[in-house]
Amino acid sequence: MGSSEKRSKDLMSDIPTFSAENLQNNLKVIQNSRTFLSIIAGVLAGIIGFNGLTGFVFYFVVMLITSVGLMAKAGFSADLYFDSLNRVLFDGFLGGLMSFVLFWTFAYDLVHIF
Amino acid sequence: MNLGFVVGVFGVLILSHAAYSTIQYRGLLKIMEEEFSRPPMNVIVELIIGLALCMWAALTFPGKFLSIHPDSDENRAVSLPDNSEFMIFNHRGRLFPPQIDMKF
Repeated sequence: MGSSEKRSKDLMSDIPTFSAENLQNNLKVIQNSRTFLSIIAGVLAGIIGFNGLTGFVFYFVVMLITSVGLMAKAGFSADLYFDSLNRVLFDGFLGGLMSFVLFWTFAYDLVHIF
Repeated sequence: MNLGFVVGVFGVLILSHAAYSTIQYRGLLKIMEEEFSRPPMNVIVELIIGLALCMWAALTFPGKFLSIHPDSDENRAVSLPDNSEFMIFNHRGRLFPPQIDMKF
C-alpha cells in the first residue's frame, strides 16, 4: 500500500505538462500590454520632442518599467503563470519598437512641425 | 466597461491635452522668437500623470494571468476529453481498487 501511494504522488507532480491554453492566454495578455504601452511611449516621446538616440533610450526605459510591472502583476513568481522567465521579461520588445517609432514620428509631426 | 478601460481613456485624454498645450506653447515661442528646448513644467507633470494612468490601465485591462499548473485549485474540470460520450466504464477494470486519489 505504501509503495502504491508513493507512485500516485509521483504521477500527480509532473511539472513539464501544463495547461497550454492558459499559457497562451497569459502570453496574449503581455503582448497586449506591451503594444499599448509602446504606443503610449511613442506619443510621449513625440510630445516631449526627443531626437535621435534619446528616444530609443526612452523606449527601453519604458519597456523596463513594463517588465517590472508585469512581474509585479504575476506576483514575482513567474513559475505559476509561465514556463520560462525570459518570456515575461523579453517577449514583445522588438514588435513594440515598430509601433513606438510609428507613433513617435506621428506625434512629433503633429506637435512640432504642423 | 470596467475600471481599467476608464482609467486608460482618461490617461489618453490627459496626454492629448498635454499635446495641445505643447502646440500652443510652440506657437507662443514662435511669436517670441525663442528656441524650443523642452515643454513647460506643467506639461511635463501632465505627461507623467498620463503615463502613470496609462501604465496602470495597460497592466489591468488586458486580463488576468491564469495559472498553468495542471493540478491547481482553479484548473479543475478543464480536462474533460471531447470523446467522453464514447467512454464506457462497465469493463473488467472496474474490479481494480482505485489507486489515485482524484479531486472531484
